[in-house]
Amino acid sequence: MAMTRNNLRLSIGVAVAVLALITQLSTGAFAQELFAEAAILAVFALSLDLLARSGLVSFGHAGFLGLGAYTFGGLAVLQNWPPSLAMAAALAGGIVSGLIIGCFAVRTSGAFFIMVTLAVAEMFFSWVFRSPLFNGADGMGGVPRLDMRAMGLDLNNPKNFATFCILICICVWIFAEYIIVTPFGRTLDAIRQNANRVSAVGGRVFSYRLAAFALSGAIGALSGALKAQHTNFLSPDLATWVVSGDVLIAVVIGGMGTFVGGIIGSGLLVYLKEILSSNFGHWYLFLGGIFIGVALILPRGIVGSLLDWLDRRNARNNPAPAREEEA
Amino acid sequence: MSTLLTQTLCKSFGSLAVTQEVTLTFESGKRYAIIGPNGAGKTTFFNLLAGNLKPDTGHILLDGRDITSLDVTSRARIGIARSFQRNNLFAEMTVHDNITMACAIQDNVAPVFWRPMSGFAAVHDKAVGIARQVGLEDDRHTAVRHLSYGSQRQLEVALALACKPKVLLLDEPTSGMSPQETARMDHLIKALPRELTVIVIEHDMDIVLEFADQIVVLDYGRVLVQGTPAEIKNSAIVRQRYLGEEGVAVGSHSAQRPSP
Repeated sequence: MAMTRNNLRLSIGVAVAVLALITQLSTGAFAQELFAEAAILAVFALSLDLLARSGLVSFGHAGFLGLGAYTFGGLAVLQNWPPSLAMAAALAGGIVSGLIIGCFAVRTSGAFFIMVTLAVAEMFFSWVFRSPLFNGADGMGGVPRLDMRAMGLDLNNPKNFATFCILICICVWIFAEYIIVTPFGRTLDAIRQNANRVSAVGGRVFSYRLAAFALSGAIGALSGALKAQHTNFLSPDLATWVVSGDVLIAVVIGGMGTFVGGIIGSGLLVYLKEILSSNFGHWYLFLGGIFIGVALILPRGIVGSLLDWLDRRNARNNPAPAREEEA
Repeated sequence: MSTLLTQTLCKSFGSLAVTQEVTLTFESGKRYAIIGPNGAGKTTFFNLLAGNLKPDTGHILLDGRDITSLDVTSRARIGIARSFQRNNLFAEMTVHDNITMACAIQDNVAPVFWRPMSGFAAVHDKAVGIARQVGLEDDRHTAVRHLSYGSQRQLEVALALACKPKVLLLDEPTSGMSPQETARMDHLIKALPRELTVIVIEHDMDIVLEFADQIVVLDYGRVLVQGTPAEIKNSAIVRQRYLGEEGVAVGSHSAQRPSP
């Protein structure tokens, strides 16, 4: 039995998860901060990639991240909500805002969808940038982390927080992988491949995309709530288009629609940013160069290209008729 | 029993009137063929029936209910299913997954996000049945892009059949097919259940004359003639305008007007 796309994808995911957990435990506090940052970006990437399964590529996903961060931080700092409750509120905020924004955003697609999501995220940015409620452009400090001391885990310890973030990322990854084998997830795939035919066989494309957008919003808000806890700080910069661009780069470099690709891309992005920015002044210049190189050599991203290679190999070893499973 | 009616259906693109006052009755369980030169408005008429296009004026009724304002999705849900002239499939999926997807949507299984698709045995069984019906049971695990063109055309019909249609619209099911593939498709559409109302757009006159109970000839968006195959064959105006002198189908009018 030849290796299928799905099996390879899942194997890579498990390998990355195990590797991240083990390496993280054996490194110093500074590296653990990077692991936490990468895991949070990976959660954010999964949010974007799940939406991409339905054929929609957002360029305003930082709006969800910012919303999650500000909902969490605002409630925890200003209203003294327990962090766990504030986190639940951030998730709920992601779903509700996803449903509201989605009502008009998912009626568009392609470049129009990119513009609409970008515009909404920029609206959110300009609001928090000016709002005295959250100290506007200065941002707001003192954001607490989740209190898990009852379970013997002090999240203010970098190692514990990194472990926590990686575990959350693994949970979100398993959730995403589960969703795509359900009828709902398969319908998202069908919509990506041929939305018109889904309509023609009686499927409400709008409803499925709206649900995907809300789900994606919830996961995006979750990553925002984690981000605010990581830095203990709320900044309007969380919702800028640069953040939307970074996560898009992570997903594209890793391989869109593969989930584990976005996770690898996130790790790569955080790592490269770190080594480049500590060695060069114009580090974004070098980062851009590296990504252009990767995009040229591996047009479907790291994992996407690997899966294509597997397809070709299987087709060679097992010519007609090529039997395969869906990724 | 489901009867599809159109009443003075009109559709124009700009100044080009593609459908003009088409009033037709499609009776339950009968087979209809729509013929006419390229650009006669056949596919546009299908788009109006299926809801891809809204008519400028006129009404469409299914079993006495006015469905003119319903969109494609709603019409697919009340039993109007269509296949497309150009293959319109889920290209990255296998044959089985294509049909399963359509069945899952029709059976309202598609919104389920808490159980894997593999757990819905009834949907899978139904998909296997439809694959057998269209002659694709041996290709069930083949990805669409590795499927021969003719088999893709068969899958096109399978997706329409998965919609549990009362009225089945087939848009040139044999277009671009080899003679062997055409024969297979001919066999397939003749074997369709009798209770189904079938309307087919087809250029192959051998298939049309054998298959149809009623033939509608469209020309410049109007109904030129309607009748039984024998009546159409003997109609002077059809001979002159469409069949040619020898009484065989030729695409001689194709260059006269652009397709809509």
